[in-house]
Amino acid sequence: MNRRFALTVALSAATALGLSACSGGSSNTPTNATGGQSGTSFTATPTKGGTVQVLQNTDFSYLDPARGFDGGVNNFYRLIYRTLTTSAPGNAKDPNAIVPDLATSLGKPSADGLTWTYTLKKGLKFDDGSAITAATVKFGIERSWDPQIGIGSPYAKQVIDAPKSYQGPYKSGELSTIETPDESTIVFHLKKPFPEFDAVVAQVNMVPFPQGSGAGDEFINKVVASGPYKLATFTPGSIVKLERNPNWDQSTDDVRTAMPDGWQFNIGIDPATIDERLLAGQGSDVDAISGTIQASTLPRLQTPQLKGRTLTMPGICTTYMGLNTTKKPLDDVRVRQAINLAIDKTAVQNATGGTQLATLTSTIVPTTVAGHKDFDLYPSTGNTGDVAAAKKLLADAGQANGFSMELDQRTLPVAQKQSEAVQESLKKIGITVNLNPIDASKYYETIGTPTQQHDAAITGWCPDWSSSAATFIPPLFDGRNILPKGNSNLSQLDDPAVNKRIDEIGAMTDIDAANTAWGDLDEQIMKLAPVVPLNVAQYVYLPGSNVTGLFASPGAAAGGIDYVLVGLRDPNKK
Amino acid sequence: MARYLVNRVAAMAGILLLVCLFTYAVFFLFSPDPAVQICGKTCTPERIDQIRDNLGLDQPFWSQFLTFLKGIFVGRSYGDGVSAVQCSAPCLGYSFQSSQPVTDMMLQRLPVSATVAIGAAVLWLLGGVSAGLLSAVREGTWVDKTLTGLTLGGMSIPNYVLALVLQYVLVVRLQWLPFPQAVPFSDDPVQWFLNFVMPWIVLAVGYAAAYTRLTRANVIDTLQENFLRTARAKGLAPRLVWRRHALRPALTPVVTVFGMDFAGLLGGALITETVFGLNGVGKLAADSIAKNDQPVIMGVTLLAAFFVVIGNVVVDLVYTVIDPRVRVGT
Repeated sequence: MNRRFALTVALSAATALGLSACSGGSSNTPTNATGGQSGTSFTATPTKGGTVQVLQNTDFSYLDPARGFDGGVNNFYRLIYRTLTTSAPGNAKDPNAIVPDLATSLGKPSADGLTWTYTLKKGLKFDDGSAITAATVKFGIERSWDPQIGIGSPYAKQVIDAPKSYQGPYKSGELSTIETPDESTIVFHLKKPFPEFDAVVAQVNMVPFPQGSGAGDEFINKVVASGPYKLATFTPGSIVKLERNPNWDQSTDDVRTAMPDGWQFNIGIDPATIDERLLAGQGSDVDAISGTIQASTLPRLQTPQLKGRTLTMPGICTTYMGLNTTKKPLDDVRVRQAINLAIDKTAVQNATGGTQLATLTSTIVPTTVAGHKDFDLYPSTGNTGDVAAAKKLLADAGQANGFSMELDQRTLPVAQKQSEAVQESLKKIGITVNLNPIDASKYYETIGTPTQQHDAAITGWCPDWSSSAATFIPPLFDGRNILPKGNSNLSQLDDPAVNKRIDEIGAMTDIDAANTAWGDLDEQIMKLAPVVPLNVAQYVYLPGSNVTGLFASPGAAAGGIDYVLVGLRDPNKK
Repeated sequence: MARYLVNRVAAMAGILLLVCLFTYAVFFLFSPDPAVQICGKTCTPERIDQIRDNLGLDQPFWSQFLTFLKGIFVGRSYGDGVSAVQCSAPCLGYSFQSSQPVTDMMLQRLPVSATVAIGAAVLWLLGGVSAGLLSAVREGTWVDKTLTGLTLGGMSIPNYVLALVLQYVLVVRLQWLPFPQAVPFSDDPVQWFLNFVMPWIVLAVGYAAAYTRLTRANVIDTLQENFLRTARAKGLAPRLVWRRHALRPALTPVVTVFGMDFAGLLGGALITETVFGLNGVGKLAADSIAKNDQPVIMGVTLLAAFFVVIGNVVVDLVYTVIDPRVRVGT
């Protein structure tokens, strides 16, 4: 599951619009929402027409939403696909909320919480003109069970009841546990109550498709669009062009503004060239956006004109150092707390790229995700570490003379600098940190295998939805989820009180109350100090001067610029 | 001649078969499990087994290799039933990361690589051979010395450096050229030229320098041959001496080298394509290496081998035309 962090960050940072904003899950104004020199706002309402250009290095993983599942592609999917529910648009009062999309309202659970009913809006059509009915929604969702196709979001399979042998509509036919009593009603039967089912239904693999379509690799190069745009040109690894879907009806859609007439994703451009193009802003590049800019470009943004064009958005992924609680002396909570106290987080932040590319965090759940609670159990002046307090704790634990430990390190420049910052910090309290470099391609596999991981590892986590911490805390700290391979509970924390609390909060039907409880659990876990939260990656954009409608969406875009609101100031500008 | 051709083609097939076997063995032994790649994030051991079975990954090496070979000639399918994916001949494997047949991925990108290679080849042949001739004719003069100096520079500068410098000067500063994109000729010939001209120059500079030196050395050697003195002595017009007697033997080695270089480039100009973000075979290879997408790396390797082998045969045939001393025994 650490792979997800790698994927999301790599894809959103390097390529598609990265991670982003909305502090506390309530304010939706990016930290720097107003342009400098001209006083133009990044959030001004766009004019209808024109084509938005997106410059990105990496290709989209898949056009097929049952297959793709990462920060870069999820955002793109919202332009061409719709789901029963979806994340609120980036300009909503609470962009972390889940709102109805194809459905008239959020789901209606039965009293026992096992059955959820949705009603479709009227007049919904695919781009081929055929109607989007309950049966097509059911069919699209059934595709998630196909062993070769359903490799994307896992939640449908985890939550919706299905026979163990079910293998999707092509191999096993219809799934009896999703009922369609009439054209516009769809009823889901769950394995057990899941109060956040609306967030599951908002996952990208819940897109409707005409019955019988999309077998084998049909949707690798082809799209059946339900959103405002359809595929005009697709050259893998090079160009994806979208044009208007004439069968999409604005009156059925409260999420997407669909201001531009088209989108052009220019793929495979070298990251340094992307930055050069954005800095130069020539020709159609005034209509361009891209992912976060390179750290090496930051110093060049200091001119007034460029400062005015710079847009900063905090992300939703926490970078942390996991401490393996099964190893001595890290099994002693005081040792882990001492490490939490001693780490110079400012030095680690500088190693990550400085204040522009990362914000410090003392909590596991970042400010941008619902369920965040503000607290700092291990404070220090300037966040540079409290050596005296740490030494005292170490002495209490009988480790006054320090010890040595192994830190797994990804062989990438940033990871190396971060590890060295940790090494320096811990040296001050007598802990010798030996770095254990692991090839970047093997890193997550190695640290996710408990028999292979060492004492500590720096990694990160991005939630699958931002409307709660349900995809943040349990994967990292549920002691019953320590897997022999692909383990995400790096600290191998197995605390009965934490496990019990995870179950209790998961069963809460009041999402707001659950989020308050997640925040408290975050603090409860941090008292056990199984991890050291280091920072939250922040993203710096340099949008073309003609682009506006730039709002952050933690839910739909892994926190990045929400595509569904983007447009041009003046489509005729050349 | 016919027998020669048959022999050459047979030898070529043999070499390609060996390359196939070797690359397949390397990737069979060292590649990550494709079943795990397909399985995705929520993977259970049962599903991995099921996928392995579906794709024939549980078969022994030789059986898989024969299926692979068979796929090249008659195509094959991966998986079974309705969700099987078809990989038509020549099937060079299937990328489980992008769910596309490798052949299709390469064919989509081949026109870009061919455009880059052909344009650059025209530039470096014209530039390199004419500069080499000029240098040879004016041997020892300031022209020769200047050209020799330039070739040293051209051969020394790494093409990614040249690419970035040119891009900064011509695109960012002077704004004479756009940031290169692979515009098809059929869309807009002018834009096609403007977008490709910088990659052509970058790629051609190193080759042009090498060809200048090669041409210069060969021409100087040939000019000292006895048969040229004889030709001049018998009063042949200098133009004819050059064209018939000097250039032909002098250029034979250039043709050899050119055949190999050009064929190699059809398999992708890895650095130039990557720096300029041109979506050719070379960039595909670079991306696939970064993603550890073994079937694609193997496909590109085989494609490049194929071009080089074909290039060799073509060069040998062209030899017999341009140099009368080389004749094929009948």
